[in-house]
Amino acid sequence: MDLTVEATKIGEVIEASTGKFTAQCYQLNQAPPLGSLVKVGSMPSEIFAVVYNIENHSLELGRRPIARGESEETEEGIFRANPQLSKLLCTDFNALVLGHRQADDIAHWLPPKPAYIHNFVYTCSSDEVRDFTQSLHFLSLLVAANLPTPVEEITAACLRYSSQAHDDPHAFLVKAGKELATLLSGDLKRLNSILKKL
Amino acid sequence: MALSAYVILPRGSRQVSLDLAQVAEQIEKMAARLKAEQAERKQKISLAIETLHKQAGQLDHLRQKIQSSRTTWLVAEIPDRLDIHEAPPPCPQDFIVLASDGSHIDVDRHRSARCFLINVGTIKLRYGKHPDAELSSSPSLYFQAEDLVISSPSGNSYEPIEGALLGVKRSVEECHSLADAASELEDSLPTLALLDGSLVLWTLAGKKTYPEYVSQALVDEGFLRYLEEMRKLSLVGQLAIAAYISFPRSTEVTNALRLAICPHNPVDCDRYCRGKDAERQCDSVAGVLDRAIFNQLLSAGERSATFGSRSSIVEQRYGMHRANFFYIKIDDEEIARVEIPLWVAQSGELTGLVHALIWQQCRQGQGYPVALSEAHEKAVVTGADREQFWQLVERDVALKSSAKSRSKRNRWI
Repeated sequence: MDLTVEATKIGEVIEASTGKFTAQCYQLNQAPPLGSLVKVGSMPSEIFAVVYNIENHSLELGRRPIARGESEETEEGIFRANPQLSKLLCTDFNALVLGHRQADDIAHWLPPKPAYIHNFVYTCSSDEVRDFTQSLHFLSLLVAANLPTPVEEITAACLRYSSQAHDDPHAFLVKAGKELATLLSGDLKRLNSILKKL
Repeated sequence: MALSAYVILPRGSRQVSLDLAQVAEQIEKMAARLKAEQAERKQKISLAIETLHKQAGQLDHLRQKIQSSRTTWLVAEIPDRLDIHEAPPPCPQDFIVLASDGSHIDVDRHRSARCFLINVGTIKLRYGKHPDAELSSSPSLYFQAEDLVISSPSGNSYEPIEGALLGVKRSVEECHSLADAASELEDSLPTLALLDGSLVLWTLAGKKTYPEYVSQALVDEGFLRYLEEMRKLSLVGQLAIAAYISFPRSTEVTNALRLAICPHNPVDCDRYCRGKDAERQCDSVAGVLDRAIFNQLLSAGERSATFGSRSSIVEQRYGMHRANFFYIKIDDEEIARVEIPLWVAQSGELTGLVHALIWQQCRQGQGYPVALSEAHEKAVVTGADREQFWQLVERDVALKSSAKSRSKRNRWI
């Protein structure tokens, strides 16, 4: 999914804490890409977060999907022959909170309250991504996070994705690299791991 | 031998409610017994099939014999051919399958709030160019005094809706949901509406007799009313209805063969064979399930001829909705019984649609109609749901339950 001009509604918060939330997508397999920025809530109190994990699974505990396509020529054929699947499978994603909007300003620290359950989740428009990543202070929350997916992967994915919103993506990545060099000055291994992926 | 529900073991050993070690021994004995009976059962099935083939030339005679018979068992009404095996017609390109299933929480006399709950799951699956699915469930709580009983027209007597009668009420609500779903269809595509179980409300035809007004309320003004709604819909669109019974234990076709074997005419079990159990000629095929016969006659996907139900409740009340049935072979382990109302059975096109779509559904559903299986998933009320339901009731209604009920929930030593 590329950056879009308009913010698009993609799902709803189904679990939330101060620093993270889980959202369920309205459409199967239609999660925003890893490392992309999403937002919940509406002006003036919006929470911004980065997608760090995506899961496609059965909606019901104890009902495991089974292989169905042996006699189907295409994967779409499986869904045509089993229309109920689109209602029984779902896509969830986890997002790490990187900041929020305070009045008209963007704050790169945690919001006073977590997202609400059933808050709508939107992809950020390219303008919003540019505004949010204009300052790189959000990187301190990101590199310090304790996530089940490697933080270096998410950081690099987030920077690659956000760079597309800037007029000069390369200059943005160079600036981000310098910021990371400061943040991870004591951990060259991690720093290199991120820089190699930019 | 009856199993003791609570086994007290010698001092020092662990006390358990059910001693599975003891049960295992008994299971072994049961398995040995069933194995020993296998040869006899095979012989009976062969004889039943042989008898079925033999009837080809004398069906009118058998039909007359069935009509005049006085038996203690239920005998099928027979069609023009007994041994046909028909392959499924092709599925339409675009079609819809509707299904409903229900579960309930019965009235619990240990709870102070007298109420029951019926949860009906309804499914709409659309296949073809624009595949789509709608899966929904609708719970209804019955708590008003008039909801909890069926009253006689005079108001002098009433029958409480609980236990087996609640099961019938649930079947009526399942049929109601199915009729509603059928009436909401926007596209006039070929449609199969599927019920789980039988079209025959056996509880009302069973040994326990209920007053006439109960049958009137549940059958005439309930189940049959909704079947009639669907029949009317079928006049303007291609809609068929069927009830699906997996692993049926019925013996109505075998019983017709027993009549064919019986040397007496008219057949009168009480008059000729009272007290002669296991010595009668018809006992040579007794105990053979219909599905055992059709498992040998049919190949996967094929269906049998359509038979008619001669159950008293059907003959007295069902009219155009009189239950007919055929067997369909799903695979080597599953023969299903498909019941269709008379108006579907009389239309070759609708019967073909039922056959084709049930076969399609079973192939997509690992041997069981996928729409019914999803309806069940939406309807099911688990033990935990039940407990939570009663907790909600007792919290909101602030009533007390019986000491026995509380003791079951809060176990102690």
